Amino acid sequence: MSTQNAFLGIDVGSISTKAVIIDEHNTILAQEYIWTEGNPIGAVKKLLGLLEKQLDRDTWQIVGVGATGSARRLVGSIVGATVVKNEITAHAVGTTTFHPDVRTILEIGGQDSKIILVENGIAVDYAMNTLCAAGTGAFLSSQARRLGIDVEEMGQYALQSAHPTMIAARCTVFAESDLVHKIQMGHPREDIIAGVCRAVASNYINNVGKGKKICSPVVFQGGVSKNVGVVRAFEDLLQCPVIVDENGHLMGAMGAAILAKRGLKRTVFDFSVEKMDFVTRERNCGGCSNNCEVICVYRDGSLIDFWGNRCERGAVH
Amino acid sequence: MEETGGNRIPAIGIPRALLYYRYGTLWEHFFRALDVPVILSPLSSRGILDIGARLAPDEGCISLKMFIGHVEALIGKCERIFIPRYSNYGYTDLFCTRYEGIYDQARNIFHTSGQRFITCNIDVMNGSPEPKAFEQLGVELGFSERESRQAWKEAAGALEQEQRANDRLQKELAGKPGMKVLLAGHSYVLSDPYLGKPIRDYLEAAGAVILRTDALDPITSRKASARFSPTCRWLVSEEVVGGVMLWKEKVDGIILVSAFPCGPDSMTNELLIRRIKGVPVLPLILDIQSGMAGIETRIESFLDIIRFQKGEMV
Repeated sequence: MSTQNAFLGIDVGSISTKAVIIDEHNTILAQEYIWTEGNPIGAVKKLLGLLEKQLDRDTWQIVGVGATGSARRLVGSIVGATVVKNEITAHAVGTTTFHPDVRTILEIGGQDSKIILVENGIAVDYAMNTLCAAGTGAFLSSQARRLGIDVEEMGQYALQSAHPTMIAARCTVFAESDLVHKIQMGHPREDIIAGVCRAVASNYINNVGKGKKICSPVVFQGGVSKNVGVVRAFEDLLQCPVIVDENGHLMGAMGAAILAKRGLKRTVFDFSVEKMDFVTRERNCGGCSNNCEVICVYRDGSLIDFWGNRCERGAVH
Repeated sequence: MEETGGNRIPAIGIPRALLYYRYGTLWEHFFRALDVPVILSPLSSRGILDIGARLAPDEGCISLKMFIGHVEALIGKCERIFIPRYSNYGYTDLFCTRYEGIYDQARNIFHTSGQRFITCNIDVMNGSPEPKAFEQLGVELGFSERESRQAWKEAAGALEQEQRANDRLQKELAGKPGMKVLLAGHSYVLSDPYLGKPIRDYLEAAGAVILRTDALDPITSRKASARFSPTCRWLVSEEVVGGVMLWKEKVDGIILVSAFPCGPDSMTNELLIRRIKGVPVLPLILDIQSGMAGIETRIESFLDIIRFQKGEMV
């Protein structure tokens, strides 16, 4: 019996690792979402193990693999990806496939945030946070810890507040000292939490979204979109509904899978990487005073890929 | 510091950083016309930047740190290191104060090295226009006023020729087929082999045609900047802004390349991002610890956006 084609998309971010397997019609056959925990290789192996259990391999054969997210290069080389794409493009492709009428995509992840503007289903402009990660998921996590609650609970607390505390949000360092000050002044906790959520949203609009015309429909995704407090803050500030897709966290992986499907390259992917041994090593080139840090990836002891060198002198053989 | 006699190579050293990328041709031709040997510092590298970052003031921009690294590379290798003070070409043509201060900064940083330095003041507002400044420079090196003036004339002519050739090349490039990306920024960022080159290499490998604001005729650009803002303070900012105004309709995307933390760029780039419509604009800020990963992600996605717009499959 012949199998049908399926496509795997993997999105390895700083905080979480996501993957989906789709068919030719973008129907999700398997999906998974786990924490990266500082170990992208381990996370991907674990993820593949979980996906393998969900997929009926007598029916489906994965013929294309897309990798995205900040560890896309590493993971792409490990799984033998047919497409390696940046997360902005992957998110744009994934989101416009499921929300063809979307005009603005807001995305706040663990370490970065971006905005993508869409016209007629095509991404036309985007912006990303520049040097500073103020107002991303990492900021929310650390403030939740300071307030003694889980980051997942923040949204519910925020919704209970009628008077969000004003918190300076230009810079994480200032935001934090302002927050401590407001706590010591006796502001109620739910007001502070709502203030933090509002600060994240207004910081985003003023920094990442500056000069951009935010049109409705607006889709909000990335880990922070799971925080209803931030969603509410965006709705208040933008004066329009903000859509959070239940599969929003998978949009990058979806985009990667769709890009793999559109691509011309084909492979036969068989989950065997789960059992292989991968090691990365850093090597200082020393060929000139740039002294590039070259990352080498070894599979079962043999070199499969390297990057980080600025010129041919840094090539590893 | 007194002259130590003939045990040093009687050559002028020029740090290959900051305004070298704007006036290098002028300086080199000036010294060459006087038969003064010139030694250039090596091309920028991580090593030079690391040394500069250790020696330069913490608050300085990455390009200043690179510059100090280049000065260090010349210490003890030449008779004098040439660091001109560029202040202004008149009331409306001001340079960022950075260029006015670097001679004194470098002298202070290396004051125990015994190295000699030489400068000249380009400061029209205080009665020292460029011809006079270079005349005095020549006299200080032991040449006559006439010889020095003649050398400046030759050098100024060479620079003008170079600018004309650059401008012509930009127009030729603009006529080429394919995706056109305008790099807007200071030439000491765009031309630097460590800072700007990886960006240019990446764009070229992706098949983009690269246009540059710093290669356009500076006078035309400065005039064009008035359409954007009549009160743009710094001369080089005017050229960046003017270049964007002149080319924004003819390119598929604009990348604003800036070295962190650049005061002038932080004003003009903010304004450009807010006011330039109809063409994708990517602000790209280079800082001292950034690897290429963040830069690659931003450029790759930027090129994808352009391809999406052009209806090309990504």
